Amino acid sequence: MSPAPSLLALNNIEVIYDRVFLAVKGVSIDVQKGCLVTLLGANGAGKSTVLKAISGLLAPERGEVTRGDITFSGASMLALDPPTRVRRGIVQVLEGRRVFGHLTPTENLLAAVPRSRSRSHTKALIDRTFGWFPRLAERAKAKAGYLSGGEQQMLAIGRALMTEPELLLLDEPSLGLAPFLVDEIFDIIKRINKDGGVSVLLVEQNAAAALDVADTAYLIENGRVVMSGTAEVIRSNPDVAESYLGGHGKVDYLAVKHYRRRKRWLA
Amino acid sequence: MDFILLCELAISGVLVGLMYGLIALGIVLIYKTSGLANLAQGALAMAGGYATVAFATLAGLPMWAAIIAALALMWLGGMLIERVMLRRMIGQPVIMVIMLTLGLEIFLRGVGPGLFGSAVKPLDLGIRQAPIIIGDILINRAYLIGGAISALLIIATIALFNSQIGVRMRAVSDDQTASWSVGIRVERMIAIAWGLAAALATAAGILWGSVQGVDWSLSLLLMKALAISILGGLDSIAGVLLAAVVVGVAESLATGILDPLVGGGTRDIVASVIILMTLLVRPYGLFGREHIERV
Repeated sequence: MSPAPSLLALNNIEVIYDRVFLAVKGVSIDVQKGCLVTLLGANGAGKSTVLKAISGLLAPERGEVTRGDITFSGASMLALDPPTRVRRGIVQVLEGRRVFGHLTPTENLLAAVPRSRSRSHTKALIDRTFGWFPRLAERAKAKAGYLSGGEQQMLAIGRALMTEPELLLLDEPSLGLAPFLVDEIFDIIKRINKDGGVSVLLVEQNAAAALDVADTAYLIENGRVVMSGTAEVIRSNPDVAESYLGGHGKVDYLAVKHYRRRKRWLA
Repeated sequence: MDFILLCELAISGVLVGLMYGLIALGIVLIYKTSGLANLAQGALAMAGGYATVAFATLAGLPMWAAIIAALALMWLGGMLIERVMLRRMIGQPVIMVIMLTLGLEIFLRGVGPGLFGSAVKPLDLGIRQAPIIIGDILINRAYLIGGAISALLIIATIALFNSQIGVRMRAVSDDQTASWSVGIRVERMIAIAWGLAAALATAAGILWGSVQGVDWSLSLLLMKALAISILGGLDSIAGVLLAAVVVGVAESLATGILDPLVGGGTRDIVASVIILMTLLVRPYGLFGREHIERV
């Protein structure tokens, strides 16, 4: 057990889709308050499934957490529906942006503001988001469906921040973006984490970009965590460099080591 | 064909059209929040009319109290439809849900007259029969009041959709999963839409009931409402306003001008011709939102 209390703790969770397909097999993850944690892995490794298990969005895809527990600030989240989890402080930015295409950016932001907020507070939240994303302010009157991919990603992140979360779950924010936009988005994520004080759990295939901003990283393969540690440790691992960071050295493929899961019996 | 008759036909067409529009409003409201066509809207109007008659005659309430009671009852009924029927259909194909609303329409059409008898029940709102006379033009008082109330309710709904709850309802229609992910209670939004649609249907049922009496034929207004919502674009409330006027005037002129030539019966063809022409020529209607596709 780590001495600092975790904001979010996944304890040996197992996720099954359609009652038959085992997608996540005993994953344990800790996110400390104020940290930026990244979850790396290839296509289909189970990264998005882990995020949906945390935000509660597995149900529409007929998935369920069958084993283990997810606690947030010490309280179990498993029985709560997604809107309740949002009220507790967890919000997910979905893969593929999923902005409300027929609404303007301002309306997109407005839709995510909890009903209990006052008018002036709502306005302050919107101004703060436009401060983070000046490009959105310029296009506040256009329909969100016509924004560029990068702008839509900013809007999706900004929309999630309107709920004033403690923990932001980001699913592949770099997907389909030009490299300079990826840098811009990751800069913003870093600022949200450091200046805004929002803890972040970032799922990425772009391991190089994610490791640049993250404090700690987990590597997930075939539904299992195979490696975890601080971003530097993970980055300097030769096998990670080879498989995920586009390694430069020559590798003797006969000698490549295969990772086995380090099972955590107790968390 | 003189000018005054044309004016009279046009004015009554606009007013009757707005009263049709009140029923179409419920269809558009539900389409805008949950993306499905509610084919039970006509029967909901009929049920609202029956409920008002029941409160006024069986329970002996004064008319204003009966109207409020009927609106409240139908609001609850609409929410109940979402709770017990639609929530079970989550994840099912849209066509199944539309068939469900059609089933509800047929069910209510049978149950209403079954409970209350098939005779036409009068519903007197206390509107005088004598027409209003402006210059040489006669205007039916019931249509004038009905049209005005309908227009007000349509405009109020436009305002609702620009308020914060309306923004949330539109968000739900755009992307339910994304709405869920930012904490919008999707089921509650859809339930509110159904409650509102049922209450609006009741208002229409009362207005039409005061004109033609309450019986099962109120549910046939569904056809006109469908023509209006399809012509207006299914998800545009401003479209309802314009399409209601177009359908009403077209029907009124057809009745006044074509009927004497062909021997009657054109009134009921107009709505179906408008549905067919819209779908063939401009499937997304006058104001329907375009399908956004970025390239």
